[in-house]
Amino acid sequence: MSDTSLISLPPAAEAELVRRLQARDESAMTLFYERYSAALYGVIFRIVKAEDESEDVLQEALVKIWHAFASYDPSKGRLFTWVLNICRNLSIDKIRSRQHRVGSRTQGLDDSLTAQRQAAPTSFRPEHIGLQEITKKLVPEQRQIIDLLYFEGFTQSEVAEELNIPLGTVKTRARTAIKVLSKLIR
Amino acid sequence: MENFQDYFESGILEQYALGELSPAEQAEVEAKAAAHPEIREELAQVQAALGFYAEAHAITPPAGMSERVLTNVLAQIAAPAANTSLRNEVDAVAAQVAPVAPEAGVRPMYAAPAEAPASRSWAIAASVALLLSLLGNALLYTNWKSASSELVALQNENSRFATTTTVVEKKLDDLRQENQVLRNDEFHAVALAGTKAAPSAHARVLFNAATHKVYVDVRSLPALPAGKQYQLWALDKGKPIDAGVLTVATATGEGLQHMKDIASAQTFAMTVEPAGGSVNPTLTTMTVVGNI
Repeated sequence: MSDTSLISLPPAAEAELVRRLQARDESAMTLFYERYSAALYGVIFRIVKAEDESEDVLQEALVKIWHAFASYDPSKGRLFTWVLNICRNLSIDKIRSRQHRVGSRTQGLDDSLTAQRQAAPTSFRPEHIGLQEITKKLVPEQRQIIDLLYFEGFTQSEVAEELNIPLGTVKTRARTAIKVLSKLIR
Repeated sequence: MENFQDYFESGILEQYALGELSPAEQAEVEAKAAAHPEIREELAQVQAALGFYAEAHAITPPAGMSERVLTNVLAQIAAPAANTSLRNEVDAVAAQVAPVAPEAGVRPMYAAPAEAPASRSWAIAASVALLLSLLGNALLYTNWKSASSELVALQNENSRFATTTTVVEKKLDDLRQENQVLRNDEFHAVALAGTKAAPSAHARVLFNAATHKVYVDVRSLPALPAGKQYQLWALDKGKPIDAGVLTVATATGEGLQHMKDIASAQTFAMTVEPAGGSVNPTLTTMTVVGNI
């Protein structure tokens, strides 16, 4: 993945990739996979937390992305944002159907956070952009909220309920955390 | 800028980026972002920040997984008939449409680079048209399916109704005949009263001396043991003549029964006989009897 981060992938390169994918150039799919699979797999794995199921979701997501490319509108957002959302949605659907199967709707917060802490160190690449920086810059409360929102698929109201804090506080912390993150990009 | 600040503070852009909003709310945010560059910029920042966060958590898929996933994905997007048949149809339509473009009237000098996008937009237009038509067909097909199953249901109902009507008509015909018998002056009503064996038994015989027709009309008869049937006898000058056996329906008083023709009789009587009737009456079982 060299030093080019996906969110700062040169617009021309992204546009070219989108053009080829929308023209249904199958070889572009391999290129797409090389560029995006680590980021997508990282998100899927942190949500789903099981390797075999993550593999299923990744595969399903890529097929879905391929077939949905016609509906991707570059003017509405970056390619990375769009594909991330597809992967997040599929992953969240996966854990919800699993929780539904097991019968308990929401996992206990402690369980989910422990699971996440255990899951995280397996194979993330510490040399990769920003994770240490993020850990340094985000206060634990902010990080916890972002993790619940982003990796656990909680809504802001669910986070408020889970952490027993006002919804307004959740909104403020989430916004502040996102501001901190966007400063780190530059 | 002030009111945008309030809008940003509401946290709706974060909710949008995290996929928390309903489709209607999403559309609203998209419309606002399209109308106001400030909102578009803010939303892009939120999305980029989350993308950055996601990317910071990247994990290279374990060895072997990439090959499997990529192979499966390429196989699925290349091969499947179900998915590609639509694709082929779209391509076919696009191919038919595309050659028209260069021939159509004035062609700008810089047409060469523009040609690909033009045919692509034709292809997209054709795809959209085909998709709409397929959706329309799917809708029509669904409607047609439900209409045809409704038709089958109606046909069943109709044939059931026809059967009922036939049954009713037959009953009506029976009643009409009975009515004719009952109203006909030529018929002589013979009351049959219960014997000592069955004092409460009561029946009538309707006898037409001119046409020799005999009908029996039961009011009340004792229930029969299994394997037995009531048999009607005409007595002509003391000699018993078989007038036929009564059906179960007749014996329970459901209606008139047309019996065998009798040329001449002075007395009618009923006995209990083995099912199917006897040649000679079993006089000990005589239940009702009456004289003309």
